[in-house]
Amino acid sequence: MTSDLHHLAAAYALDALDDQERIAFEAHYPRCEICSAEVHDYRETAAFLAGAEAADPPADMEARVMEAIGRVRQIPPIVPDRVVELADRRAARTRRASIGAAATAIVIAVVGFAVALRDSGVGSDIEAVFEAPDAVVTSLDGDGGTIQVIWSQERDQVALVGTGLANPGAGRTYALWFLLDEGVAPAGLFAPDRDGVVRAVIDVDDIDGGGFGVTVEPDGGSPQPTGPVLYAGTV
Amino acid sequence: MSEMDRLFRRRGPLRAVSTDGSATDELASLLRAAGRGDEVAFRGFYRSVVRLVYGTVLRVVRDPAIAEEVTQEVFVELWRLAPRFDGSKGSARGWTATVAHRRAVDRVRSEQARRDRDERDAQQSAVAYDSVSEEVTDNLDRVRVRAALDSLSDTQREAVSLAYYGGHTYREVASLLDIAEGTAKTRIRDGLIKLRDIMGVTP
Repeated sequence: MTSDLHHLAAAYALDALDDQERIAFEAHYPRCEICSAEVHDYRETAAFLAGAEAADPPADMEARVMEAIGRVRQIPPIVPDRVVELADRRAARTRRASIGAAATAIVIAVVGFAVALRDSGVGSDIEAVFEAPDAVVTSLDGDGGTIQVIWSQERDQVALVGTGLANPGAGRTYALWFLLDEGVAPAGLFAPDRDGVVRAVIDVDDIDGGGFGVTVEPDGGSPQPTGPVLYAGTV
Repeated sequence: MSEMDRLFRRRGPLRAVSTDGSATDELASLLRAAGRGDEVAFRGFYRSVVRLVYGTVLRVVRDPAIAEEVTQEVFVELWRLAPRFDGSKGSARGWTATVAHRRAVDRVRSEQARRDRDERDAQQSAVAYDSVSEEVTDNLDRVRVRAALDSLSDTQREAVSLAYYGGHTYREVASLLDIAEGTAKTRIRDGLIKLRDIMGVTP
C-alpha cells in the first residue's frame, strides 16, 4: 500500500477503505486539521446520500429497539483529563528520548497502578520498559477504556497499562498493531483481567511505527486486523 | 445542466444538515438527552431518524430481514454511544448516518468474507448503482440528492454510488470498473467534493 493518508478522507467517509487503511487513517486524521475538516464535510455529505434512501421500517421495530436499549449500558462520556494530556504532550516532546522519572511517575499515576506495579513481576517489567532511555509513551483513545503504550525500540518491547477494557468474548483476544505509513504490522496479543485491567509487556519486532491501534481478534491472532479499531493513537 | 439541476440551483444552497424541515438543533438535543439516559428522548430521536437509518441499511445489505437486524443493532449502538456525541464535531444526522452506514458495510463485508471462505464462491454482488435515479418520489431529500448526483460526471456518480450504496472499498470499485485504484479514489473524492459544494455543506 502506498496511499498518502491525506487523500483518504473521502473514501473514509464513505466507509470505502479496507481495514488496514482505515486503521491507519483513524489514527491520523484526528490530529490533522485538514483531514478532520474534510471528514466532517464528507460525512455530512454522505448523510444526504443516506437521506435519499429513506424507507419505512417494519411497524414493530420501535418496540424492539426500545426493549433492546433497556438492556444496554451506555458508555461513559469523555472526561477531559489534564494529567493525561500533560503526559501525552510530554511524551510527544520527548519522542525517542528519555522521558525521565517525573513523566514516568505521572503516567503511572494516571493509570493508577503505582502500587500494583511494584508488587507484581509484570510491574517491574513494565517499569524496566519505562526506564529505557528511548521509551516513548502513547495514549490510545477509544471507547470505554484507556490504554497507555510504552514502547522501547532499544529493548524491542512494548508495555501496556490499561483500564476499562471490555471483555473481548469467548475465543477472542485483544491485538495490538503498529501503525505504519503504508498499513499496519502486528505487535502482539494481550488480554485484560476480569476487571478490565491490562498490565503486560510484549516483545515486538524492530519496527519503526508511527502509532498503535487495538482490535479484537480470534484467539491466536490474525495476520491482518479483522475487527473494528477500538483504540488508536499516534506516537 | 439538467432541468433538475437548474431547478435545484435556483433554490440556492441547502443548509448543512436538515433536509426534512425538522430543526437540526432539536435532533441534537434529543441525542444529548438520550446520552444522559433519557429513554423518552431516545424514542423521539428514533422516530426522527429511523427512516434514514433503515433505508440506508436496506440499500446496502439488500435483504429486508438482515436490514431489520442491522437497524436494531445500529440503534442499540447509537444509544450506547450517545454520551459521546459531540455536536461540535458534526451534526446528529451526520453522526447517525455514519454509524448506520458503517454497521451495514461491516455486515456485508463479514458476510462476504464468510462466503468466500465457506464456498470459495466469488459471487459478484450485483449493484444497481444507477437505481437512485430510477426512484421516482416526491421526497424533497431524494429530489435534491438526485439533482446533485445528476450534476456529477457519469464516472464520478458510478464510483460514489458503488462505494456508498454498494458498500464497496475503493479498491473493489477499481476492480469492478476495471480502472486503476488511484483513479477510483480520485473519482470518489472529486464526486464527493462536488456533492458537498452543491449540497452546501459547511463546517
